[in-house]
Parts: sequence; C-alpha cells; structure tokens
Amino acid sequence: MAEINYSSADDTVLVRAAQKEDMGAFEELVARHRDKVFARALSMMRHEQEAIDLSQEAWVKGWQRLKQFQGDSSFSTWMTRIVINLCLDQLRKQKRRHMESIEAMSEESGGVERQMPAVTVNPTERLERGELRQRIDRGLERLSHEHRTVLVLHEFEEMDYKGIAKAMDCSIGTVMSRLFYARRKLAAVLADLKREM
Amino acid sequence: MTEEQQLKLQAFLDGELPEDETREIISLITRDEEAKALHAELKNTRRAIKSSEANVRLPEPREFFWSKIEREIQKLEPVVESKPSVSFFDQLRRLLVPMSAAAVVVIAGFIAYQQMLPVHSTETEMAMADSSAFTYHDYSAGMTLVWLPFPAENDLAQNSAPATIQ
Repeated sequence: MAEINYSSADDTVLVRAAQKEDMGAFEELVARHRDKVFARALSMMRHEQEAIDLSQEAWVKGWQRLKQFQGDSSFSTWMTRIVINLCLDQLRKQKRRHMESIEAMSEESGGVERQMPAVTVNPTERLERGELRQRIDRGLERLSHEHRTVLVLHEFEEMDYKGIAKAMDCSIGTVMSRLFYARRKLAAVLADLKREM
Repeated sequence: MTEEQQLKLQAFLDGELPEDETREIISLITRDEEAKALHAELKNTRRAIKSSEANVRLPEPREFFWSKIEREIQKLEPVVESKPSVSFFDQLRRLLVPMSAAAVVVIAGFIAYQQMLPVHSTETEMAMADSSAFTYHDYSAGMTLVWLPFPAENDLAQNSAPATIQ
C-alpha cells in the first residue's frame, strides 16, 4: 500500500484506505469529524457524557460498517446519521415519558406557542454567539425528544419532511406540527419570554 | 391566521410547499402583518439554530478519545461473512444427484432380490437320496408334500394318501 499523508489526504482517499483496514486513515477521519458527530449527539441527548459515549459507539459502528459506505453522501453525514440512530435508540430506552406527555398535551390543545404573537427581534443580531448558544441549549432541553429530533433532523441533517417522517415513523403532518411547535418554543426562549409549561 | 396557514407558511419557508399553493402564501405574507412577522420569526430561529452547532467541541483530547475507539475495535470479533442464502430450487438440484443414485441402487437391489426369490408356483423335485421319494412344493400355498415309499410299494400304490407337511 502506497504511503498516504493522512493530514493532507481528502476524505475519499482516507475512507478508501480505511475500508482496507488502514487504522491510521480511520484515526484521521475520527479526528476530522469527531466534533460534528459529538455536536449532533449533544443536540439530541442534551447530556455531555451520554453524547460522548454515543459518539464513541458511533465511531466503532462506523468502522464495522465502513465497507457499506458507497459515497452517496459525505462521510460526515453518513457518520452523523449513525449517531442519530444510536441516540434515538437510547432515547426510546430511557422512556422520558413525563416530558413527552406534557408536550403532547400542549400540542394537542393547540399549544400556547401556536397562538403567541411572533417574535420580531432577530436573536442572531441581538445576542452574542456564546449567549445565543446557551439560549438555544436551554430551549432544546425544554423540548421533548420527539420535538428535538425533528428539529435536529431538519435543521442539522437537512432532511426533508418525508425523510424525517420515515426516520421517525410518523406522518408528514406530525413532522410539520412538531417542527412548528419546536421552532416557536425556541423563538420564545431566544427572545427571553417567560412561558409556563 | 389559521393553523393550516401557519403550517403552509412554514412549509413555504422550508421549500416544501407545492407550487400551486406558493402564490397564495406569498400573497398572504405580503398583505397580512401577522403572517409577515411569523415568517420572519421562523426564518430568524432557523438561522440561529444552524449557527449553534458551529463551535461545539468534543471535550476530550484527540489521543484519549481515539484510544477508547481503538480498544473497542480491537475487541470486535472478526466478521464472519454469512453464506449467501440458497434458494429452494438450488437446494433441490443439489440433492437430485445423490437422490437419483440412491434410487438406482434401491431399484437394482430390489430387482436382484426378486431374482433371488424362488418362483411362486408349484414345483416338483425329486429327492436325490431316495429315488422313490417324491417332493411337491406349493410356495403360493406355503405347502410342501413329500411322498415317501412305504416298505410295501403295493400298499403305496393302493393307498396313496400323501402325508402333508405344511
């Protein structure tokens, strides 16, 4: 096998080498994309250690399944999909029902968020990046895992409604409702409006 | 705004609204202040969310994180490639040759056995030791008759009721 300069090689070359069991190439891929995979896990789980553990598990699974990667998407997207599926499995096991039932009731009743007036201030202009991230983190924590998942899949994974519905095994209408609800809830948090759950 | 209009407005923002409904929503956003404000809010929120992941860092050093992954990979059992599944007809075809051979052997054996079996008909044979003795076999009836000469052959000639052995 020809020597590869891992740090300067692009992902395609590294993936091809890793598929031939070149651990050095795979280590470089981990180094390049570990933050993104972790960020995705953290968005889903809202718990740092869980996100680290699930990221690690995702990388091990990625190694096992590497030969199945055909290049239909970018390698980082392929990895984030693996970690999202692991997070979804974990969330189902954890059964965070009490939070979901409140959210579900709120959604069924029409939701305060559906009726509240639009937030006119642009948070990206008003808030500094650090504070913005904190507010978004807070907002994401207040969502049920189903609402959070829809948001993550749409905003970060850039999946369309149909793809999200398939991934979450629900209707497109449900995806749209959940997305709308999640966005409006976040808007309220970003605008620092106090809402009672 | 109705709930339906709100969701359509969101779909329009996400590029998911069918073309025939797009004009209606654009018109709504243009003429209705509430729709315009909601459209702006959804757009701003979307931008804010997308920017939030930009600076997230895994809080473990590269070497440490990699060492954990490497250890787990080394623990993995070698993957055994599963044999491709064989169709029913392929399985049947594979069995056909030995089954045919076995059938031929059975048939040949049966024929040989049949040839070894005595003919199921009446048969007479002469006992060689005594030329006067006369043996009669009836295999179908499962019967053998033996005529033995009595000392007085004349008696035999006159009283020829055979002794039957079955």
